[in-house]
Amino acid sequence: MTHQSAVFDKKRNPLQAAGSFLVVVVMNLVMFPLIVLMTVMGIVLFPICFISGKIATGWQNDRVMRYFVWVYGRAWMIIMSPFVRFKRTGLTRGSIDMPCIIVINHLSFFDTYCMALLPISDIAFAVRSWPFKKLFWYRPFMRLANYLDLEAIGWEGTLRDSRRVFERKGAILVFPEGHRSGDGKVQRFYSGPFRLAIETGVPIVPLCITGTDVLLPPHRWWMMPATVCLSALAPVDPREFMGDGETAHINLRKHVRKIIAEQVEKMRKEAL
Amino acid sequence: MTDREIITLIDTTLVNEFELNMADMAAEASLKDDLGLDSLDRVDMVIVLEKAFGFKMGEEEAIKAIRTLGDIHAFVINKKQLMQ
Repeated sequence: MTHQSAVFDKKRNPLQAAGSFLVVVVMNLVMFPLIVLMTVMGIVLFPICFISGKIATGWQNDRVMRYFVWVYGRAWMIIMSPFVRFKRTGLTRGSIDMPCIIVINHLSFFDTYCMALLPISDIAFAVRSWPFKKLFWYRPFMRLANYLDLEAIGWEGTLRDSRRVFERKGAILVFPEGHRSGDGKVQRFYSGPFRLAIETGVPIVPLCITGTDVLLPPHRWWMMPATVCLSALAPVDPREFMGDGETAHINLRKHVRKIIAEQVEKMRKEAL
Repeated sequence: MTDREIITLIDTTLVNEFELNMADMAAEASLKDDLGLDSLDRVDMVIVLEKAFGFKMGEEEAIKAIRTLGDIHAFVINKKQLMQ
């Protein structure tokens, strides 16, 4: 039985079911306004935070911005914590060697917020064009953080901008499925991040996430309490695939997809 | 390289890259509706075809008008002829 069906299970004690229903109602009535408030406050306070952060660290603009994106994610996690449990495995401080290409399965709009569970903040998200077009309140911050608009910059631009990130020991994060999974299963992967790994020799760090599809899956506009788990697998060295010639990126893609799908399945079974 | 050889190379390249079925590779097949390829796949498609045929095509406006597999065949055949 999934977490979602458990909340509305008709066989449960009616009192328990009513209590669960009430929790969901309260969660949505409280959490959505709080997230909006947090975002508005973040936008208002951003100039002073950004300038202070830049003076304190001496970092470049995009690096400072990425740090504040991570802080924003942390704040979101604190706000959500009365209703959402966050667990992580294999993600202790220093557990991710930089530079790297992080690839992760995609279940929910909130997956990006959960990247604040990572012990690193210098992460450039590589995304499709739609977040730049539709999430207008985030757009200036995404631009300032030098996130990669994959559809707009094409392959040459992706390679150029990624190399800049790697030179400064940063990470590129990609959802290789391209869009959220409707049934929770890992979908087909795009080749981009794997071709990038083969071209640059930068290792892939596979991440697996579960639970955000209970919290807020695609095509549902209300949240439910959930336990979100984020697990890191051992890095995959692209050099092990470079001898495969023209199919190197395909073989790397298939390998990474397989280990992510297996781990996600294992995490789902453990959650039941 | 004959037109038939070009078409075979295109189809084989796309089947390998996107894990498609060769049986679905009909000229009239829509990239989006029949083969399930979207805008991000187009980025990958341009790269693999550039590698397979050894010419640049990513900057060309005509790429944006491609809708079917037959459009790709025609585009590459035309491009090869222009290069000769």
